[in-house]
Amino acid sequence: MNDLLIPVLLILLAPLIGGLVYGFERIIKARMQRRIGPPLLQPFYDFLKLADKRKMIVHSAHAFLGIMHFVSLWFALAVLLLGGDLILVIFLHLLSTSLIILAGYSTRSIFSHLGANRTAISILAYEPVLIIIAVSIFMLTGSFDASAAFNWDQPLLYKMPLAFIALLLVLPIKLKKSPFDVAEAHQEVTGGVEIEFSGIFFEAVYTAKWLDYVFCYTLVFLFAGNNILLGIGLMVFTFFYLNALDNSSARVNYKQMLRFSLTVSFSLAFINLLINIFT
Amino acid sequence: MYPLITSLFLVPVIVSGLLLILPKTVARILVITSSLVLAALSLYVFINLDGVLYFGVPHYVNDLVAVADIVLLVYFGWIALRRRSWLVGLMTVLQFGGLLYLLKILPADHSLQFMVDKLSAFMFLLINVISGIIAIYSLRYIDEEHCSSFRKKHFLSILFWFIAVMNLVVSSNNLEYFFLFFELTTLASFLLIGFRKDELSVKNALTALWMNQVGGVAILAAIFFIIYNGYGEATFSNLLAHASASGILLPLALLSVAALIKGAQLPFSKWLLGAMVAPTPVSALLHSSTMVKIAPFIILRLSPALKDTPVATVVIALTGFVFVAAAISALSQDNFKRILAYSTIALLALMIMMAAVGTPVTIVAALVLILFHGMSKCLLFLNAGILERVFHLKQSSDMDRLGESGPFTSLVITIGFMSLLLPPFGAFIGKWLSIETLGALATDKKLLGALVIVAVAGGGAVLSLLYFKVMGLLIARTGDHDKIRFEKTGLVYAGTMYVLLGLIILSVLGLPLLLTGYFVPVASQTLGMPVAVVMDGWNMHIGAMKLPMVPLLIALFLLPVTIITALFIRFKNVDRVKEYMCGEKINYSFSSFYFSTDRATPYFTTTGILFFVALIVAALI
Repeated sequence: MNDLLIPVLLILLAPLIGGLVYGFERIIKARMQRRIGPPLLQPFYDFLKLADKRKMIVHSAHAFLGIMHFVSLWFALAVLLLGGDLILVIFLHLLSTSLIILAGYSTRSIFSHLGANRTAISILAYEPVLIIIAVSIFMLTGSFDASAAFNWDQPLLYKMPLAFIALLLVLPIKLKKSPFDVAEAHQEVTGGVEIEFSGIFFEAVYTAKWLDYVFCYTLVFLFAGNNILLGIGLMVFTFFYLNALDNSSARVNYKQMLRFSLTVSFSLAFINLLINIFT
Repeated sequence: MYPLITSLFLVPVIVSGLLLILPKTVARILVITSSLVLAALSLYVFINLDGVLYFGVPHYVNDLVAVADIVLLVYFGWIALRRRSWLVGLMTVLQFGGLLYLLKILPADHSLQFMVDKLSAFMFLLINVISGIIAIYSLRYIDEEHCSSFRKKHFLSILFWFIAVMNLVVSSNNLEYFFLFFELTTLASFLLIGFRKDELSVKNALTALWMNQVGGVAILAAIFFIIYNGYGEATFSNLLAHASASGILLPLALLSVAALIKGAQLPFSKWLLGAMVAPTPVSALLHSSTMVKIAPFIILRLSPALKDTPVATVVIALTGFVFVAAAISALSQDNFKRILAYSTIALLALMIMMAAVGTPVTIVAALVLILFHGMSKCLLFLNAGILERVFHLKQSSDMDRLGESGPFTSLVITIGFMSLLLPPFGAFIGKWLSIETLGALATDKKLLGALVIVAVAGGGAVLSLLYFKVMGLLIARTGDHDKIRFEKTGLVYAGTMYVLLGLIILSVLGLPLLLTGYFVPVASQTLGMPVAVVMDGWNMHIGAMKLPMVPLLIALFLLPVTIITALFIRFKNVDRVKEYMCGEKINYSFSSFYFSTDRATPYFTTTGILFFVALIVAALI
């Protein structure tokens, strides 16, 4: 019963948890810059304010794809938290990303298109790394199921430290954190695919980002096996690492991002895979 | 059963002949009815075929085959002289010499030249259904072609004759027969690629000819070594019976070479890319459903013998390389059909790889990919024809208004690409099975497994980038087009599209049934051992692989249903506004991005050649 209760609760509360993480992140980021920062619940205040705005859309398909992006991401997260097959989870996540890319392309807005292009390129940067990590986990646990990793009696981290570093290097791409936030890049493409969403329809895209937090931190948690304390430690570490990195680095362009990810992160994951295969 | 199978050979031949003489309206009816009849026949054969059916043909057919071989080679020689193509000439001379020598040393007595098992029946179904759809589609396509009415008849006639040849290829057991049919498919592709008779078509047709002739030479050499090694008759079944005999690797490697060439693997990918100048139904026929599928078919046939040999290792490594290389090459292309061609090469590589690995699950994966790739690529290629004919678009960068002028076509193309990429579609299932079984392979063959996984993961991501890049151009529209109205493309075009879309969606819905009743029996007969399939609650187990059905079913609602709904849904009481674009007032042309791959591509051919050398070397050591 307990096995099912916690994942289900996590799934149901995922947007709330993600929102809190985001709120906390804004405070931490501000403190790192010696600012006070917004209150913890600021994301939710923003959420309420957005709901109150005049409803405007470019066209219905665009708005609908944004909503379905949120729904399908939630679904991918649910499969992950319920311990589903990791390869399937990665592809379900790709499915949800594909919907937001399509939404970005479906308008005649230059920034929306640029953002969608860049999101598609980001997939090339992180997806192979994630698949290699999933295969490494398979090599260790003998199963592609996330549940096998959750129940593994010793932390995966000890056997696959390089894969963890690779994950840390691709997470900024997924979460659109500097230096790899090319897909969103407010100063360049003003939010990319998000730009043509507004009001209540932007809400879906906005909260989908919260879900992405939960998704990414769950991936981090996988590396702790069944050691919950270590898992929490890893998540906290990742949280501070991501924010420190975001605060301290400048954005690279998409080519540099691609090159870095496919050479450094990919190689790290691959070396780890080789180690897992040969030992 | 026997008369039904023979009718699969004879009906298309008769139709092919009739099409040349019948008037247009009767020919139309004939094409449609015979396509339906062939599809029904192949379905019946598939359902009712148990075990392996061997049958021989009368003695004089052997002589007929020999004569046909010689006539064919004389024709090739004539082409070589007429077009002054020394490569075609060289290959023809090689084949001619080899053939005459073999005819001298071959035992005069053949028995059981044909073998029809579930794998053949599987291919029958694929060939006849997809080719039937393409034939019906060509009725209109070729009608709009600027050429004489005789050449139009000629075109349809070749199509049906080609269906017959394909049916023969997949059911021949004797390698000498197989050689003839293999060469006949080469002839068909030569004729169809060169159909437009302009300079480029002729040039590309010649390229296709000599490259595929290399495959023919390889088959002849394989026959020679089978005889030379004293295995007895040169047949597939005999070859498999000697799976552990010494010297078996060389014929296996040579047949694999023939397969890899037919499957346009690097460095022989040029012929398939060149084939894009042909009329679109030809591209669809050669690239989606039929001819290139001979490649995975041969490897599947050989897989019990090929498994765990050095030859298989090289084939796996080669195809892993091709998967990435073809995907990368596609990124720099603009022509819609060339993009599709490269992606075909990449996916063929995956099918061949799966067949060469040869475990039960990979065989299932190969079959799943063959079928679903066939349907999706057929859909996409036929749409390329519609784009060309109805919308006058050939380059993908020109397609940025399609979302407004042709929402239906843009929807179908989007679904076509998605079906090659994402859950819950069959091609995704194939890819998923591939990754997970390669993971299992890595526990056994460590380094190879690891490298191939990297190739599949990397190439897969490149392909998804490619598909998004193309899809992105097709769907853009402004708010003025919020209410869409499907364009009218005409009965034939729209009808074939609906049939293909229906097949794709139905096969996704019926996937559990298809797996248990369709793919798994074929795989277990091909391997000669049972493949365990168990339904355990909501999970289906194929061998060691687990397919959870619930997420797939939900994904069905998320993806195809979402994309279709997105076109029709209307939000009421919401204001429509122009794009915000951050206040920019620039005129922006929505072309896509390209990658310059010039720095990488020159190495691809060289690497491909090295792999082919390694293939033969691996067999010799």
